[in-house]
Amino acid sequence: MNTTLTPDTVEEVESVDEAIPDRPWLVIVWNDPINLMSYVTFVFQKLFGYSLDKATRLMLQVHNEGRSVVSSGPREKAELDCFRLHAHGLWATISKSS
Amino acid sequence: MASFRPESGMVMTQLEAHEASLLRRLVGELRELLTANLEGDPINVRLFPDAYEEPSDQAKYRDLIGDGLHSLKLQALDGMSHDLGTKGEMDKALDEEGVNVWLTALTDIRLALGTRLDISEETMQAEPDPGDPDAGALAVLHWLGWMQESLLEAINLRPNPTEEDDQ
Repeated sequence: MNTTLTPDTVEEVESVDEAIPDRPWLVIVWNDPINLMSYVTFVFQKLFGYSLDKATRLMLQVHNEGRSVVSSGPREKAELDCFRLHAHGLWATISKSS
Repeated sequence: MASFRPESGMVMTQLEAHEASLLRRLVGELRELLTANLEGDPINVRLFPDAYEEPSDQAKYRDLIGDGLHSLKLQALDGMSHDLGTKGEMDKALDEEGVNVWLTALTDIRLALGTRLDISEETMQAEPDPGDPDAGALAVLHWLGWMQESLLEAINLRPNPTEEDDQ
């Protein structure tokens, strides 16, 4: 990745800021000792339509690092995603991205 | 021994009488617990986790979802209960909806049992110790996990769900 601040990249950052006026809300899944790794992967595929590779990567991040951001967006979407994760027995929370 | 076999888009589910009976008891116990709705009970906390750390956000979220989560969990238990019938062995074809109900109910029962046992990663992976007063409950927890794994394997043998590109 180019770390030099060329005019191009400055413009790009500004346009992103305009397109997304609010910082998105993040849905975080936390590690728990009870749920099976295969089940957690299945839930990520089922709820978010993620590929097996992506769902497995997120599951492993939860398992190894204790947490993973599994979805993000407007507050309403984050709340719906969090609710669906709770309905499937996963331990999920919502935070504002920093 | 219980078996979960994929066949023409369904999962043929067979449980012996003693297995079905144990599962009926567990379903009944969790339903009682959910109905009692004990505020602050660790099982309640685990099955209905806070979405927000900030209390005012959390209060608004609770108002929004109402008893929706509670109802869904009871519905899954009712679904499993219906499939299990009232006595004897079980032999039933589960469709996709049925499999989802079972996966959800098995998860909630495992979470409740595991929370009651104060399970950690270490106890989950430890060799069984017959002298442990929780050995029986731990064996049940692993058995439920084995059933869940078997159900997942059975549905994985069906065509994969539509995949979306990474964002």
